[in-house]
Amino acid sequence: MSDEEHHFESKADAGASKTYPQQAGTIRKNGYIVIKGRPCKVVEVSTSKTGKHGHAKCHFVAIDIFTAKKLEDIVPSSHNCDVPHVNRTDYQLIDISEDGFVSLLTDNGNTKDDLRLPTDEALLSQIKDGFAEGKDLVVSVMSAMGEEQICALKDIGPKN
Amino acid sequence: MQGFQERGGGGGAPPDLAQLQSTMRAIELACTSIQMHMNPAEAEATILLLAQSHQPYQACKFILENSQVANARFQAAAAIKDAAIREWGFLSPDDKRNLISFCLCFTMQHANSPEGYVQVKVSSVAAQLLKRGWLDFTAVEKESFFYQVNQAISGIHGVDVQFAGINFLESLVSEFSPSTSTAMGLPREFHEQCRKSLERDHLKTFYCWARDAALSVTNRIIESNSAIPEVKACNAALRLMLQILNWDFLYKSSGAASSVFSGGVRQDNDSPKRSEVNLVQPGPAWREILVTSGHIGWLLSLYAALRHKFSCEGYWLDCPIAVSARKLIVQFCSLAGTIFPSDNVQMHEHHLLQLLSGIIAWIDPPDAVSRAIESGKSESEMLDGCRALLSIANITYPTVFDQLLKSTSEVVKNLMNNDSEEETWSWEARDILLDTWIALLVPVNRNSGNALLPPEGRSAAANLFALIVESELRAASASAFNDDVDSNYLQASISAMDERLSSYALIARAASDVTIPFLIEVFAKGFARITQGRGLVDHTECLEELYSLLLIIGHVIADEGEGETPLVPNAIQTQFSDILEAEKHPVIILCSSIIKFAEQSLNPEMRELVFSPRLMEAVIWFLARWSSTYLMSPEENADLNSSKVLVEFFGQHNQGKPVLDIIIHISLTALVSYPGEKDLQALTCNHLLHALVLRKHICVHLVQLDSWRDLANAFANDKNLLLLDTAHQRSLAQTLVRSASGLRNSESSNQYVRDLMGHMATYLVELLRKNNLKSIAQQPDIILSVSCLLERLRGVASASEPRTQKAINELGFAVMNPVLVLLKVYKDESAVVYLLLKFVVDWVDGQISYLEAHETAAVVNFCMNLLQLYSSHNIGKISLSLSSSLLNEAKTDKYKDLRALLQLLSNLCSKDLVDFSSDSNETQGTNISQVVYFGLLIITPLITLDLLKYPKLCHDYFSLLSHLLEVYPETVAQLNTDAFSNVLGTLDFGLHHQDIDVVDNCLRALRALASYHYIETRGGKTGLGSHAAGLKDQGGNLQEGILSRFLRSLLQLLLFEDYSPDLVSSAADALLPLLLCEQGLYQRLGNELIERQPNETLKSRLANALHGLTSANQLMSTLERKNYQIFRKNLTSFLIEVRGFLRTK
Repeated sequence: MSDEEHHFESKADAGASKTYPQQAGTIRKNGYIVIKGRPCKVVEVSTSKTGKHGHAKCHFVAIDIFTAKKLEDIVPSSHNCDVPHVNRTDYQLIDISEDGFVSLLTDNGNTKDDLRLPTDEALLSQIKDGFAEGKDLVVSVMSAMGEEQICALKDIGPKN
Repeated sequence: MQGFQERGGGGGAPPDLAQLQSTMRAIELACTSIQMHMNPAEAEATILLLAQSHQPYQACKFILENSQVANARFQAAAAIKDAAIREWGFLSPDDKRNLISFCLCFTMQHANSPEGYVQVKVSSVAAQLLKRGWLDFTAVEKESFFYQVNQAISGIHGVDVQFAGINFLESLVSEFSPSTSTAMGLPREFHEQCRKSLERDHLKTFYCWARDAALSVTNRIIESNSAIPEVKACNAALRLMLQILNWDFLYKSSGAASSVFSGGVRQDNDSPKRSEVNLVQPGPAWREILVTSGHIGWLLSLYAALRHKFSCEGYWLDCPIAVSARKLIVQFCSLAGTIFPSDNVQMHEHHLLQLLSGIIAWIDPPDAVSRAIESGKSESEMLDGCRALLSIANITYPTVFDQLLKSTSEVVKNLMNNDSEEETWSWEARDILLDTWIALLVPVNRNSGNALLPPEGRSAAANLFALIVESELRAASASAFNDDVDSNYLQASISAMDERLSSYALIARAASDVTIPFLIEVFAKGFARITQGRGLVDHTECLEELYSLLLIIGHVIADEGEGETPLVPNAIQTQFSDILEAEKHPVIILCSSIIKFAEQSLNPEMRELVFSPRLMEAVIWFLARWSSTYLMSPEENADLNSSKVLVEFFGQHNQGKPVLDIIIHISLTALVSYPGEKDLQALTCNHLLHALVLRKHICVHLVQLDSWRDLANAFANDKNLLLLDTAHQRSLAQTLVRSASGLRNSESSNQYVRDLMGHMATYLVELLRKNNLKSIAQQPDIILSVSCLLERLRGVASASEPRTQKAINELGFAVMNPVLVLLKVYKDESAVVYLLLKFVVDWVDGQISYLEAHETAAVVNFCMNLLQLYSSHNIGKISLSLSSSLLNEAKTDKYKDLRALLQLLSNLCSKDLVDFSSDSNETQGTNISQVVYFGLLIITPLITLDLLKYPKLCHDYFSLLSHLLEVYPETVAQLNTDAFSNVLGTLDFGLHHQDIDVVDNCLRALRALASYHYIETRGGKTGLGSHAAGLKDQGGNLQEGILSRFLRSLLQLLLFEDYSPDLVSSAADALLPLLLCEQGLYQRLGNELIERQPNETLKSRLANALHGLTSANQLMSTLERKNYQIFRKNLTSFLIEVRGFLRTK
């Protein structure tokens, strides 16, 4: 158990370099890609040729999964791109502290207290409101390239 | 705004002048403020109030006659129309007549008013009202209206009135023509009847009036040297005549059906034409007026006179009267059908020759004409001339067209010659002229050479084709360095190009003895140039030329199969019938040289130098098109000597196998050696290989080829093929499995599939055994390979055939557990989840009907687990993302998933309809309907109203729901209250949906539900039981039974809401059983409705109508087919009777 946990901890640190090479032609819409050093989700791929009789190249439009900024890139489709290792972990939400941090319950019973709440008002209120209503909430935390963020929220309701 | 409420001519007290004036001022104010953009909403409301008020006619008439503001008059006319159409049912006959004659008189009296649009509006109001009352008025009443119009048109009251009269007829004709008529809230039959009546009784008369009006002013127009007011009337008359000739004549086939022109009209709807040509077929009754009376001669001389006047003031090439005259002439070119007597061919020929002699001046001599256009002359006359040629070509066969052909082909050729400049007019002219050629050539092609073109035509076609190839190649090399950036535009231009190429092909085939050798020569030249260059020079231009050439040749020698096996084109089959040696057959020489060229791509050095991805695309496309016609085509198709040589040469016992081997090698090369070239891979997988395995006799040879085994081996083991686009991997898997049909027996086929897919399934199972699955599963490389495998599995599943069913069945059962585990592991990876679901959908679709009872139970169990798992992951989940586009993506993903799940349920449903399992008598079998209901209940909470905005999902959902309710109403009766009300809640939602299909589905479901209940309860059973009876909720309040609830809401919908008239019959089908189930409630509702009506006359009308609904036409209280039909009729007349005043506020 502790071995497992240790593994997880170290990965979160080493995550900064956690990318994999993948041929540009195989990256599809809804896949992940690194553009300008940022982990992104691809929202649009189009192919074109360099000159009529040249080789194909892929044009990616992607959105930074943490900052929601739009980024674009053009890569010859036989070349490799970096693809980030995106991991999601579910935790039960225990508490929301005054200073903008959440307290989460990990699988093995420890707590994880280093995660900030989103700064965006709308997202923040979605979490806070649910918590204030006393629902049992599970949050999904997305981590990639050394960053972490809450990406989804789920009401598991009363156990039946 | 009380001022609008006064009573009009309906017999009330005459309204006082002050009130009328205040109304007028209010409307005028509103109109000006709309124009000035001051508070437009309020102004619109004022105007709307006038249109919606009760009998506003007096006020409107007052405004029309007295207002100085043109817009106010316009709005008043519109208000008359709105109010009269709405209140038509209870206007007295006198009122109706007065309204129409008021409008008519108004247009005549104010014919010289400068605000033309008001006049047009008023006359169109007159036309609409006349149509509304068309079936009520007696012939005498109509005649009295038309007498007035005729007086006007004959010109005795001056040109302006004449113009107004013609204008009125124009609105009338367009009102009666179904495509341009205004909606009146009446059934389609009404419009049909009006149209028939007008065509039968009046149309010809109108035409004569228009002709006479035009004739009467012709001389004055011809004599005068400047624009005179008569021109306007003449133009209107010409327009009216054109409009009448555009009428969709109903009685076209009366009398003798066929004529020498074999049926009068050619019906070739399948020819690849860009422009629509409508035939004008008014029938024999019109012969006198249109053909034999010298009418056309007059028209042509009128236009000829106009041509001379183009230098005068007020006339020019595109002046309205010239344009209308030209249009009318072109329309006359399409005159066909029984108007020409079948025993007098000369008459039609004479007609066409006469027209042609008039038209030829527009386009001949072509050189001079096109030069004049280049130097600034308007091109419209030339284009009209081309259109006329096209029309003529469309109604005649070349044998008849013979005399005309010579001149035409010359014209066409010269024009093509001049059309190389890129100008819109020349493109348009080229398109029209190509259509002309097609119209001429298509029947030649079809009649398998019986009606060969005359020699002049053929040599013209040959020259033309040479010219086309030359200019295409020039265009290709000129565009070789253009970068086509916009891929959307590219798609559109590809399909346009496809059409163009197929018309080139027709021309080439018309003279294939010349054109095929010509193509051989051109291709050989291109080939030689490219091999000489060998990397020393940049030969992009040359590549582009070869690319175009391959496309052209592909179109010339083979047809698009469109799912069928295409035959060798007729023209090619018959042309070379005297050549018996294969080595001398031009088509064989051409094909062999191209295949030889394609084979060069296997050589890596050549590939590097010559075969660019784009050229390779053309090669693969050509091979696909060529092979579906020529490669090992079944030899019984070859009846003629020539095609026998042709077919045998590439047949199974001759060159067929080696060529097939080459093709497979080339495909493998295209897949492996062009990494990342998606277009090329798509063509290879979806076009070439996919088409090959569709033919069984090719599969027989395929599976014996080493190259095919190499391909299968590469697919199973080569990492390179894992880099293909996942959709192509799916297609490839499907193709490879399909080819198993070429194996000797079922065992070897199954073994083949096992060998192909076995270790992919094993890979998945192995992956799940790893204990760190949860963390490694998220690695991109693992995700990629899992998605590839799932796509491949999906491809295999969709290739299910009885022969390979066993192996695919095993495969599915082997990965069932892995699928569930993967669904859990990848619950946040939407792309993988979708693949998993789609695999299950396809697999169930292919397998469900073969499953034995215990297997069915296992599959059903698996599907339910899947549904529950999916639901538990997604219910109540909210994605948090800053990016709105990512949120939208998430929503779309959800929609796609749900749609897949609905498809899964539909597929499960089909088990009850098609079942091939050995123990089909269901004793302990699974009850599919219950399972599907259960499944539906699991996913219903996931479907939010937002998601139902996706039309496809909504559609799928409601069609599944109505299917279930129709086929298994008894199951729904057994559902518990919550589940039941959930299902019915969505039904209620669907009933008020905008999409007709959705509402229709819901109505069908309702009908099924109610008739089930009615029949069951009559038979003494419980039917829907407590659901129908109504029950007490927790608070002790009695809730209505569902049937009562739906009776209420359906009546509400039918009487007070907007819906498409197409829905009335299915609503009737749902309403009848509901009425029968809940008669008490229906009586109560009916009474309420009557009580609410303040007006006594309306009250009694409503009561009568309600009575008629349930008792007219001997309606009985049973649910037989006949009864349903009667009720449909009753409901339609009921709605016509009462909806008008029920909806008036």
